[in-house]
Amino acid sequence: MIVRKRRKPSYALGELAPARTVEPEDAAAAALALSDAARAGEAVVAHGGGTLQQSANAPARYDVALLTRRLDALHAYDPRDLTAGAGAGITLDALRRALEEHRQFVPFDAPRPADATLGGTLAAGFAGPRRLTYGRPRDLLIGATVALADGTLASSGGMVVKNVTGYDMGKLYVGSHGTLGVLVRANLKVLPAPAARRLAISPFDPDLRARVVAHARARLIEPTALLVIDGFPGAASDAPRDRRPRVVALFEGSESAVERAMRAYRSALGAAGVGATRVLDDAAAGDAFQSVLDAYVEHAGKASMTFVARGLPASAAERADGAIALGAMFRATHAAAGYGIDVIADLRTGDVVARFASSGFDANRAAEFVEAAAMIRETLGPAQRLAAHPAVAGLVDAWGEPPATLAAMRALKERFDPKGVLAPGRFVGGI
Amino acid sequence: MAAALAPRLLEALGPDAVRVDPEDLAVYGFDAYSESVLPTAAVVPRDAREVAIAVRIAGECGEPVVPRGAGTGLCGGAVPTRGGLVISFARMNRILELDAANRRARVQPGLINLDLSRAAAPHGVFYAPDPSSQKISTIGGNVGTNAGGPHCLSYGTTTNHVLGVEFVDGAGELHRTSIDDPGYDLTGLLVGSEGTLGVVTAVDVRLLRLPEAVRVCVAAFADVEAASEAVSAIIGAGIVPTALEIMDALITRAVEAHYHAGYPENAGAVLLVELAGAPDDVAAGEHVLAGIAREHGALSWRAARDAAERDALWAARKGAAGAIGRIAPNYYIQDACVPRTRLPEVMHAIDAIARDHRLPVGNVFHAGDGNLHPLLIFDRREKRQVQAVVDAGTAILETCIAMGGTISGEHGIGHEKRETLSLVFSADDLAAMARVRDVFDPARRFNPDKIFPSGAMCGEVGARPAVRGA
Repeated sequence: MIVRKRRKPSYALGELAPARTVEPEDAAAAALALSDAARAGEAVVAHGGGTLQQSANAPARYDVALLTRRLDALHAYDPRDLTAGAGAGITLDALRRALEEHRQFVPFDAPRPADATLGGTLAAGFAGPRRLTYGRPRDLLIGATVALADGTLASSGGMVVKNVTGYDMGKLYVGSHGTLGVLVRANLKVLPAPAARRLAISPFDPDLRARVVAHARARLIEPTALLVIDGFPGAASDAPRDRRPRVVALFEGSESAVERAMRAYRSALGAAGVGATRVLDDAAAGDAFQSVLDAYVEHAGKASMTFVARGLPASAAERADGAIALGAMFRATHAAAGYGIDVIADLRTGDVVARFASSGFDANRAAEFVEAAAMIRETLGPAQRLAAHPAVAGLVDAWGEPPATLAAMRALKERFDPKGVLAPGRFVGGI
Repeated sequence: MAAALAPRLLEALGPDAVRVDPEDLAVYGFDAYSESVLPTAAVVPRDAREVAIAVRIAGECGEPVVPRGAGTGLCGGAVPTRGGLVISFARMNRILELDAANRRARVQPGLINLDLSRAAAPHGVFYAPDPSSQKISTIGGNVGTNAGGPHCLSYGTTTNHVLGVEFVDGAGELHRTSIDDPGYDLTGLLVGSEGTLGVVTAVDVRLLRLPEAVRVCVAAFADVEAASEAVSAIIGAGIVPTALEIMDALITRAVEAHYHAGYPENAGAVLLVELAGAPDDVAAGEHVLAGIAREHGALSWRAARDAAERDALWAARKGAAGAIGRIAPNYYIQDACVPRTRLPEVMHAIDAIARDHRLPVGNVFHAGDGNLHPLLIFDRREKRQVQAVVDAGTAILETCIAMGGTISGEHGIGHEKRETLSLVFSADDLAAMARVRDVFDPARRFNPDKIFPSGAMCGEVGARPAVRGA
């Protein structure tokens, strides 16, 4: 194991930087690093690609950054089994490349896959727009090995796609942000890659929205993702600075199914009188969809904060119109003061992503950010932070109101990490 | 303390909801795996509040609590091992809310699996997990074992379709979870925990849109290994139909004798394939699959003509275990899972194990998932045969583990396989699981003697050999 003195605070979180970093070369070394730290009472935060670190709070204490990047092996991949096992540190791009060769894929909707790691993506538990079609990260994980604070390695699940052998511990680790243990290896269910992919970008229009929703209800189309984007320049927009509201529809499947859906979609566009639609094929469609996912964690202006509210139980129409209305409301009250808002409404999952940004930042603006976050949570309900500038990250709890089951969560933390050395303070309710 | 349980339950819930007479309790002392000891009392609550009261009283009396759905479990998961309280969900069998637009429903745990899809169908949606027992098994029981079924191949198992649960903890408090809540995924922990972490009183499930087109095809093969080769090739070609099921000759004949569904009776093995989706995709998919099947020795390939024939084929497939009951004095159904590439090899090994133990074996299984169900046929009056079944069952599990598989794909561990669990997991692995149990059930009153090996709770996992060599 390489133990390296800190040279620059690149692993800083909030106002804290680690005293040292460790880069375990295998699972056993990771477990040893944790037990060493636990014995010394040092707080450890695991780092993958750092793409979703802002979606949790900054740690309350922070001594050691455990870098998973050397745990990047693809341990087991037999395409004929449609399963793959890899180290936590493998990047999603590296994983994608290995699977692509066999026309297979793991449908993680993750921002910045060149940096994002398998372990980090699972630990953050981020589930994106395509989850209704392909499942969430929790649904794709079939086996996990975790290094625990007592220095043991605990495995669960396996390398089979159906398994009720013991507790489904993988579910507990996904989304736990390294507060119970550090994921060192994951086995995944992989899927045949869709043969065709199209992405259509059209200007937002309430009539179009209504027709698209009606088409979906009439089973003419079933988009893999259907988003209304207001703002977020660069995210599936016509030009890098284009902020205009737009409807983005992603279709994936066989060539014939995608073609048929596109015909139906075009007829909805035609009926709504929306002509200016850009349709992207295959690789270009994938890149444009990725640009939306990347926007989830992109900063804007001098300071910004991005939130996601999950699964709003409203109709697709209400979601879209609500998101547009939210943007308009913010602009009406805040634009003059140099604030901006960007919104993505996911018409399939009911997620709403909202980013609040200011063109300048000073101490006086802190209160405005706290207020904006409260307003977003009031309008959308419980919303998790996805990203924030360091200057404002500490102003607002990343998780918002903890759920009523917090006591059980605290008890789990206490039982897995009695000394509180794993990412202390990063999680829900101060866990 | 045990004496106090029945009168206290009667006092709190009334005679209508509480069973205490031995003849009434007899029905709560068995499942599809085994008979066990009778509970001290059973309650048949009408709502979550009554469940909570019953759990609290059992706790105060220091008595174990065993939740029970329809009792179709195959591993002794729903039977009491040391008296105590059984909670039957027979009366909590309603759909509380069906929200077709958002494709979700909220149901009581005693709801029969098939009743949900039947109620949802007019709205164009369905509940995907479909264990073969779905005509009688309950959603609550399915949640307990993370039940599967033929269609899990493309849709996933129960855990992929549960959005949240309401459950009663050891203190008799009600909690509600959601996979959209921030924090640890308690929903994911509770599904498949076989009633050892709490008692589920409501389930939020995901519904899927009914496919536009469905086609069911039947192919005949010379033997199970050839059919398994075809399945491995189909998965290997990156094609995931909605179901890929194999029945061997023994099962096919038993099924045909009972159901007359139209399976080729003289085949050495039958492959049942279902494709669902857009009409073009289904047609194209059938063409490709039929080609792969023929390359791997399919003797015939035939698509069901209409929905009635399709339903008949499925009814027969799902009734296979019952059909075997007509020709065998007793049978023991095993559940294991292997990586899909190992299918032909493992089928060969199972055949050899059965022959070694001089037991007839039937195979009816979810081939596409690598999920095996060898049925060992025996006569329980013959002592030698009973021992041979135990030994062969163990040998099969050991073979599957050696091939990178596991000991339960969808039935659960229950009481039956608890000692076998330490063949799959190390002491450290089990200790991590026990930590979860410590949090939810420190007194080990929720479904005791299930899942965990007997030594696991006192820190001696691995100290004793769990399974004798076959």
